[in-house]
Amino acid sequence: MDILTHLQSQAEQFELLDLQNEKTTVEYEANQLKTCTVAETKGAAVRVIRKGKLGFSASTDSAALDKLVANALESAAYGDPAPFSFAHPRPAPIVRTFDRAVADLPIARLVEIGKEILDLILPVEPNARCNVSLERSLVSASIRNQKGLDVAFRTSPLSIGVEIDRIEGDDVLILYDQLGTTTWQDNYLDFVRRLVQKLERARTITSLKPGKMPVLFAPTGALALALPLTQGLNGKEVYKGTSPMRGKVGEKLFDEKITVVDDGTIDGKFASASYDDEGVPRRRNVLIERGVLKGFVYDLKTAAQSGVESTGNASRGGLFYPPEPSFTNLILQPGETPLEAMLAGIDEGLLVEDLLGLGQGNILSGAFSNPLALAFKIEKGEIVGRVKDLSIAGNIYDLLKNVAAVSQEAQWVYSTFYAPYVLIEEMMVAGKSQ
Amino acid sequence: MQDRIREALKRSRADYTEIRIEEKETTRVVFRGRELETAGANIDKGGIVRCLIRDKGWGVATFNNLDDLLTKVDQAYQCALVASVPEPVELAEVEPVRQVVTAQMERDFRDVSLAEKKALAERYNEIVLSYSDKIIDSQAAYADSFSRVIFANSEGAYIEQEKPAVVVGAFAIARDGDNVQQAHESFATTQGFEYVLEKDELARKAAQKAVELLTARPVKAGVYPVVIDQMLAGVFIHEAFGHLSEADFVYENPKAREMMTLGRRFGKGLLNVFDDGSIPNLRGTTLYDDEGTPARRNWLIRDGVLVGRLHSRQTAARMGERASGNARAINYRFAPIVRMTNTAIDNGTTPFEEMIKDIELGIYACDAYGGQTQLENFSFSSGYAYMIRKGQIAEMVKDVILSGNLFTTLDNIDAIGNDFQWLNTGGGCGKGNQYPLPVGMGAPHIRIQNVVIGGE
Repeated sequence: MDILTHLQSQAEQFELLDLQNEKTTVEYEANQLKTCTVAETKGAAVRVIRKGKLGFSASTDSAALDKLVANALESAAYGDPAPFSFAHPRPAPIVRTFDRAVADLPIARLVEIGKEILDLILPVEPNARCNVSLERSLVSASIRNQKGLDVAFRTSPLSIGVEIDRIEGDDVLILYDQLGTTTWQDNYLDFVRRLVQKLERARTITSLKPGKMPVLFAPTGALALALPLTQGLNGKEVYKGTSPMRGKVGEKLFDEKITVVDDGTIDGKFASASYDDEGVPRRRNVLIERGVLKGFVYDLKTAAQSGVESTGNASRGGLFYPPEPSFTNLILQPGETPLEAMLAGIDEGLLVEDLLGLGQGNILSGAFSNPLALAFKIEKGEIVGRVKDLSIAGNIYDLLKNVAAVSQEAQWVYSTFYAPYVLIEEMMVAGKSQ
Repeated sequence: MQDRIREALKRSRADYTEIRIEEKETTRVVFRGRELETAGANIDKGGIVRCLIRDKGWGVATFNNLDDLLTKVDQAYQCALVASVPEPVELAEVEPVRQVVTAQMERDFRDVSLAEKKALAERYNEIVLSYSDKIIDSQAAYADSFSRVIFANSEGAYIEQEKPAVVVGAFAIARDGDNVQQAHESFATTQGFEYVLEKDELARKAAQKAVELLTARPVKAGVYPVVIDQMLAGVFIHEAFGHLSEADFVYENPKAREMMTLGRRFGKGLLNVFDDGSIPNLRGTTLYDDEGTPARRNWLIRDGVLVGRLHSRQTAARMGERASGNARAINYRFAPIVRMTNTAIDNGTTPFEEMIKDIELGIYACDAYGGQTQLENFSFSSGYAYMIRKGQIAEMVKDVILSGNLFTTLDNIDAIGNDFQWLNTGGGCGKGNQYPLPVGMGAPHIRIQNVVIGGE
């Protein structure tokens, strides 16, 4: 029997996700092309609501679809009441996420791009040990449910991850960034050039007396500020009562220079799509506008629990996981100050590029405390050299109440985060007391 | 299946070919707050072919459709043709094994109904939620997985292994005004369903810790003598040192190699560290790794001196050492890489009371939220901690984050407890894209002088 007909006869609501993925990966390890992989994935995930209760199951065994349905129904038998229904068919924005130029990239071209990346790094830093991972996928997915939803989409994600290790004696520097896109980008080497610039800058080592000082977060470093926000703005944490921002929509919680947007509809971006992972149209969600909390991100279930509409933020962490609310492309809106001017105003301070251990500890509370993997001393408006063995700590719910400046300049980093430079007037910088 | 695998291997044009087929059934029940988030089972079945062309490199193909192994072998071979290693890849000798390893469980969790598994998670969840009105959120999880993995290679190895695992965990979030605190406890075993029953104490402990943390003050940043409990010591040795022992990190980097030169002093004479995948029934136990190499005890530090490291066949050949049984993959979607199995600081001689009795002002740090290392620099959050004042355990403190340099820190270990424990926690280790890999960790209490504690 056809699986849809079978589901129809067994449950009042059902949703079937069919997923197919062909992924080609070329990996350079320590500057050498090491492995090439072709991965084919094919599987199905089913959600059912039977007698008002929700069930889920997934399988990659296409010979055992009846067992998949049986598992989903058994799951529903013990499931909790489902307060929502699966997605209504609705028109979605047209978001460009498929590009022949990416889909047709031959292995040989991926190999060549890897070579181009090494050719940018190694002449500048012959001792660098680079791991470059180039991954091109072709994803076809379809979502169907009992409401007549029948959406099918193709995406062509391309991601290029570059990790550079430089070890000199007991000194270690590790840099990482990743380009993620679904359409071909002619400027695909820009993020590597930025890494090279960091490497060059990191050659001069200087010292900085720990204490209170202005701290300038580079776009990569700004993730330390944004990460706790993404947890606090997640509709699931809000519904559970664990978000510090719960019940504060409409209140001014942050400096008016802070605007945070989740936008899954930008053409070509890594986390963009017309529909989310349960078939709800994706959209642009302004979450914090000029310091005022505007809303949170939801999927169908958490939206129903909270009495609001889904914001199109359902995301599956893979075939085997049911949808959960999650960020798409995270945007920390650029400000009005030129970076030059921000630097010029700093007599002595710290530029934070990369932190160690981001995301660990109790970040839901907004607190963070991290050693700095890469940071520079700013002296009389100039970036004068790398400083080591320092750490910063604070709580973003305090720090972002008073932001000295946000730069006009902004960058996409780590594939899905768009951020400017953010200046905090005064922060505690700790060091080893020796 | 065995015949089809043998046939596909025989037809391969590569210098070395291996095939791994995995069939895995998992069950998961998760409660969060009053709500059941997940209760259900998944099936994952697939395979991987890895081909080596010595003067080119590796090619890999992974797939869910097992019908056409010959095509997959050819795909992997085509991928290997693209690679271009600077020197031919050699593999350390390993006697090809033919062996079937079956699981030994007293009560097979595959025969337990989903209803009973759900009831168990629900009970632990209820214990967390009803502990105090300060508890605002909880998570209680039950998870089991049973995999059957077939490994075969072109040298004649054919190994079938059954790998059962069952885990229960409890997570508590307590709140008082804007102060939100969390705590987590888990237990894992490979031995059967009966071992995860009667874990009420574990759930109660998670709730108790979260509530206690509400009244704890943040630790004052500074440099302290620190005593760490078995859990944090286990995580520390795994994260801060274990990963550096993985030979893929050093094997072709002269500078890292220098840093990890065998014979280098890594601490005082009392420090002994090993990795051992052969101990029965631990979380990281893997009798044959994913290249068919048998597990054994690998001493890494003996009497404070670096004496060994963890290898795949490739890294072992490259460094002229023996394959150590540490080539592991989380599942059929991945080629094996060098990983730990069960890693531990060996037992010492100092009783806990003696360890703290001379500390005027210090910290007793317990449990780990997680940690990260960047080569010799590490950073860890402890789950909870206490001040040590005048040789006594004093008030609880929170937000204790230990960071520092591995070499300095290992050298600052000046006492090792006589209370060794294997930690039967769930969770796993991440490396590359491969997470979570079940690993075991063990240690006694240890004392470290001059630890940098971050904070406000």
